[in-house]
Amino acid sequence: MLPSPQAWQAAAARRPDLFDPLDPGARVALVARSAPADMLVWEVGGDGVRTLVHPFPGYSGSGADIALAADDEALAAIAAGHDDTMFETLRAGIRSGHIVCYILRRRCHLEERGFEELLTELGFAFMGACR
Amino acid sequence: MKPGEAKLPHLFQPARLGRFATRNRIKYGACCVSNYNTRDGFITERELARMRVIARTGCGIITNQGAYPDPLGEGKAYFRQVAIFDDKFLPQFERIAQDIKANGAVAIQQILHAGRYGGIDLGYCIQPSDVPQTLPHFRPPKVMTREEIRDCIRQHAQAADRAIRAGFDGTEITSFMGYLLANFNSGFTNQRSDEYGGSIANRGRFMRELIDGIKQATPDHPLIVRLNGAELMDKWGGNTEDECFELMRQAVDVGVDMISVTVGWQEAPESSIGRDIPPGYWNYLAERAKKMFPDTLITFGNRLPDPRMADDCLRDGMFDFWEVCRPLLADPELIHKAAEDRLDEARRCIGSLNCLSRLFRDLPYTCTMNPALGHEVEPEYHVTPAAVKKKIMVIGAGPAGMECAITAARRGHEVTVFDKSERIGGNLHAFATNDLARPDDLLSVVSHYEVMAKKLGIQVRLNTEVHARFMRSVLHQYDVCVVAAGARVDRQRYAHIEGAERMLDALDVAHGRVKPTGTKIVVVGGGKVGLTLAESLRKHQGAEVTVVEAEKRIAGDVKPSFKWRHASWVEELGIPCRTSSRLVKVDEQGATVVDGKGERHFLPADSVILAAEMAPAHALLGEFEWMVDELHGVGDALVPRGLEQAIQDGFRLGVRL
Repeated sequence: MLPSPQAWQAAAARRPDLFDPLDPGARVALVARSAPADMLVWEVGGDGVRTLVHPFPGYSGSGADIALAADDEALAAIAAGHDDTMFETLRAGIRSGHIVCYILRRRCHLEERGFEELLTELGFAFMGACR
Repeated sequence: MKPGEAKLPHLFQPARLGRFATRNRIKYGACCVSNYNTRDGFITERELARMRVIARTGCGIITNQGAYPDPLGEGKAYFRQVAIFDDKFLPQFERIAQDIKANGAVAIQQILHAGRYGGIDLGYCIQPSDVPQTLPHFRPPKVMTREEIRDCIRQHAQAADRAIRAGFDGTEITSFMGYLLANFNSGFTNQRSDEYGGSIANRGRFMRELIDGIKQATPDHPLIVRLNGAELMDKWGGNTEDECFELMRQAVDVGVDMISVTVGWQEAPESSIGRDIPPGYWNYLAERAKKMFPDTLITFGNRLPDPRMADDCLRDGMFDFWEVCRPLLADPELIHKAAEDRLDEARRCIGSLNCLSRLFRDLPYTCTMNPALGHEVEPEYHVTPAAVKKKIMVIGAGPAGMECAITAARRGHEVTVFDKSERIGGNLHAFATNDLARPDDLLSVVSHYEVMAKKLGIQVRLNTEVHARFMRSVLHQYDVCVVAAGARVDRQRYAHIEGAERMLDALDVAHGRVKPTGTKIVVVGGGKVGLTLAESLRKHQGAEVTVVEAEKRIAGDVKPSFKWRHASWVEELGIPCRTSSRLVKVDEQGATVVDGKGERHFLPADSVILAAEMAPAHALLGEFEWMVDELHGVGDALVPRGLEQAIQDGFRLGVRL
């Protein structure tokens, strides 16, 4: 089950260093990998980041720049975690394979939109090619 | 029989691939692609020169790098990958096939459709299903229709026919690293509901039809398929190892002649071929394949860099051919050295992955250990006899100095190396002994220099510091002086900080010249030196280490292929990293830093180690200017960088002295 929008919003609110650099319109989605019915979205607006819940229309139709597809174990860890350690939980989930971090835009696009800090926080270095 | 051949009898035993005899059981693997070619897929003189070197490596089978088979370039993964979708490309392929066969090897052409990793010049890639990328280097997916699948198979068959017409003896298709074939085979990327998806039998249908199509087009020529023994993608819904072997069974059932067992995808969340994986780690996959398919040839070489290990595996029946590529990039003479019992002279692949990492920056591949790689076409990079034999003194026995000394000695110069320390290797030795990945790999560079110095008659004078007085004592004895004194920690930058004199020098600690006291340690500097030291102190001495880094991120000077490793280690070992933090004070209780917001933090510490910026040790260049005919600087003594640049600099100077 996806975390509550309030918890998701609180996690974003704690990390202005990651969200302030993002252009308005930047979106990060979270879906349940096993049954992606809804998606929880961090969307950056003119007045900061807000959390939305939408039906999941598929990755390419989601309008997200990045989509985190979490398995049940990862969703449980996210639900059990605190909003101040959310990014550590997400990073650990990505590294252990319980969360797939889908990159829905090209690198140049993500850099232009200000995703560098957020990607780094998600452990993007761990996802570099050629190991 | 040469002496080394008797010692490695299984490796040098003749064998067969289909109707073709092979002189030994060594297969040169296609080794990704070089990026030496034109943007529109034509093979260049640079590539041809490179392949002439490969043709002479002594392998029984040589696989030419993967060519994409479709005119749109949907299969094109790399910026300057070669193409084989038209007869216009044939002349250069003919030259490569001729070179390989003229040197006694069986010539194989790999056909590489990159699928998920393809379409580099396009705005999309093609895949069996709409599965987004997990790496931003790649293109968004477009799902293949049945008709496109049939076209794709036809293009592969035509490409195979073209390769045979160019003179190759056989062809190879590849699912290595997550290319199109792997995309169909894997449950992660194949989520189709038609006859090409769903069950493993359906997922393997594309591969079976591909093999069948190529076999029909080239019935008298062997076909090799590279298949994952482990994808390392199973946590994301990819194939388990059992499923991988079931797919191998399908390939065997439709008559493939050889299976090359491989490991991992480019986007896999764990290592497969990096320096942190011990040699031999994946052998069990090849062994399992051989047991399951005793009548099909199995070739294998992932993280198996040593001919002696390969010979043991062949003796034990783990596989039939040793597949080797990166070790031959590092040392194209490796097989000859093995045959002549000169393996101690071999340059080992140290698994730095410089080669592959550069491809993802759209650059030609290079090798940390082989400065001539990719420059074979340039006479300036050839080691030729010197027109004037000179007496050369090299100051510093680190990689830059030793590389220069060895290259110069190979050209006939008389070389003496001086170093103030008691051993060859310079700071590399200290770095290697603290390295958490594979110290043996880095230390092999040092032993290579020791062996070669001895064999080439280079005089090495250790425990000898060269300074102006010393130079006056040897005045006019040398024609050339090369300053390769490396770099040192730049204490000057921190001289204004209160208590700076209390800080230990990271290189002194790494070399074991000083020992930090206590168990709480602050390391100032989160680059490769600081991180390596911090990790080592934490892991081997149980110290509570904190890293302080002025930049926003740690590992700024670490190669892209290894950044993730350090980031992972500091987390696993529990090393806090204070980034965007500036050191302002050191006292007997610890260090005080100011963070990015201007807030002061006190970090209790028994020892504070300075591992920040390095400064070139180039003072001797000024001092010796009027004391010797030719004076050169090289490596970190000019600009502090790293092992690769030290080796490249040393070689480039050595070939022109």
